[in-house]
Amino acid sequence: MFLFSKEEDSPRLKQLRALSLFSTLGPRELKTVDGLLHERSFLKDEVIFDQGEEGQALYIIESGKVLICRQGQPTGGKIAELGEGRLFGELALLDNSPRAAQARAAENCTLAVLFRADFLGLLETHAVIASKISLQLARHIGQRLRETVTSPAWQPE
Amino acid sequence: MNRSSGPVVWIGIIAATCLLLFLFKKILWLVVPFLLALIIYYFLQPATHRLVLHGLHRKTAAAITGGGFILLLLICAALLFPWISSHAVSWQESMARYIEGGSRLLQKTMDGLEVQFAFLERASLSRNVSEQMAAFTETFAQRYLADFVVTLATWLPALLLAPFLAFFFLRDGRRFTRFVANAVPNAFFERTLYLMHEMDRTARAYFQGLISLTILDTIALAIGLWIIGMSAPVLLGLVCAVLAWVPYVGSILGCLLVVLVAATDFPLDPWMAYGAIIVFILVRMLDDFVFMPLTIGRSLRMHPLLTVLMIFVGGAIAGVAGLMLVLPLLGVAMVVGETVGMIVTDPRLQARHAYARRLRNEQAAADLQA
Repeated sequence: MFLFSKEEDSPRLKQLRALSLFSTLGPRELKTVDGLLHERSFLKDEVIFDQGEEGQALYIIESGKVLICRQGQPTGGKIAELGEGRLFGELALLDNSPRAAQARAAENCTLAVLFRADFLGLLETHAVIASKISLQLARHIGQRLRETVTSPAWQPE
Repeated sequence: MNRSSGPVVWIGIIAATCLLLFLFKKILWLVVPFLLALIIYYFLQPATHRLVLHGLHRKTAAAITGGGFILLLLICAALLFPWISSHAVSWQESMARYIEGGSRLLQKTMDGLEVQFAFLERASLSRNVSEQMAAFTETFAQRYLADFVVTLATWLPALLLAPFLAFFFLRDGRRFTRFVANAVPNAFFERTLYLMHEMDRTARAYFQGLISLTILDTIALAIGLWIIGMSAPVLLGLVCAVLAWVPYVGSILGCLLVVLVAATDFPLDPWMAYGAIIVFILVRMLDDFVFMPLTIGRSLRMHPLLTVLMIFVGGAIAGVAGLMLVLPLLGVAMVVGETVGMIVTDPRLQARHAYARRLRNEQAAADLQA
């Protein structure tokens, strides 16, 4: 029965669903989001954004690895190394505050980019999709906060 | 994003606007339909947006609004054509009546001036003007009708292009943005996205400003004409406000219209026509120095002085077309100029781009070196 059959995910939609930010979206919702995403390729060591730069977009790693570090200190100032499916630069989606750290490609990588204005537009036109993404984003920020608090280096003020 | 640009960038923005005006004057047949398409696009965008809000896919929503608009135009054309044909004779009579009323007012004014100033009587001002007016109205059709028909035939296909362009803007605008963004190097990518977003915002603000300006003009003129006792003040105000989309020339046509109506409706009272002229001039001054800087100028975040100066510059470079195009062009040039200025003058972005290029060259030549 064609009318009641479940819509099959295309390889692209499967790839998008594998990303934590979009894991709760349905096929139609994923197609809508796919229309907003930009895809960029970075070579190993290429700078994705600098610390202090005004953030305009969120990045999701489709393939490869990304290093988050202090400005200009890829070895000594390493903060985190993120792999496939992880996201970074998420604070840019919430406000246009300066980037808190530098992001560099740790190896050749492909990133999906969600521009802030597109996300804000999504909040107006597709509130359900935007709220699902926002919830995932909140979970992600919460996880980051827990990791920071439970890390041995953290000292309460 | 930091919007402080130096004088060099601003000189570049104004020079680029002037150059674009000069170029656009040469390809008006393409620029005018494009501009009309943009107006239709921003007019239909809220409806498309609303349909998307109700769960429709963007392409379907664009097809419904764009297709609906084209269909509406076709229906209007099909309905209006027989109506226009049947009323053409009565319109011709009305037009003749209004032109006669205007001529009568002119004659009375000249006679009055001759009574006041003897040297005008000696120069037979009234007779000369009347003869010239009569000659002009008699030969008007012979002189200009053929040119008008040829111009209309040349422009009609280009103008018909506008709704179709608007439909494709609605349907594929987002794909175009992605297409352009894909061509931009990584180092400038975020700034470029921001630039395109700002350009869209500027254009939308301009056309929304234009609609606000039309409403304000209509209200001000309608109130003025109503105070002096003219008939149909709202309709006259609306027609004049729409004509004012073409700065100066549109205003002159609007003023002429108001004077003709006043002179014909009140043939025994020439002061009604003079009153209408005074009201019109006052509203135009309000429009140029208060309404326009407050609506279009504010929507483009331009200084009122710059807005007024650029209108004069636009007129000097490209005539009527320049008057119409100068503000939207300046708005777009301003956004592009400020962003390009920020990219070019940012040594860090340039260094990042150079580094990325070196990495790509090294990767491309890796096996060759081995």
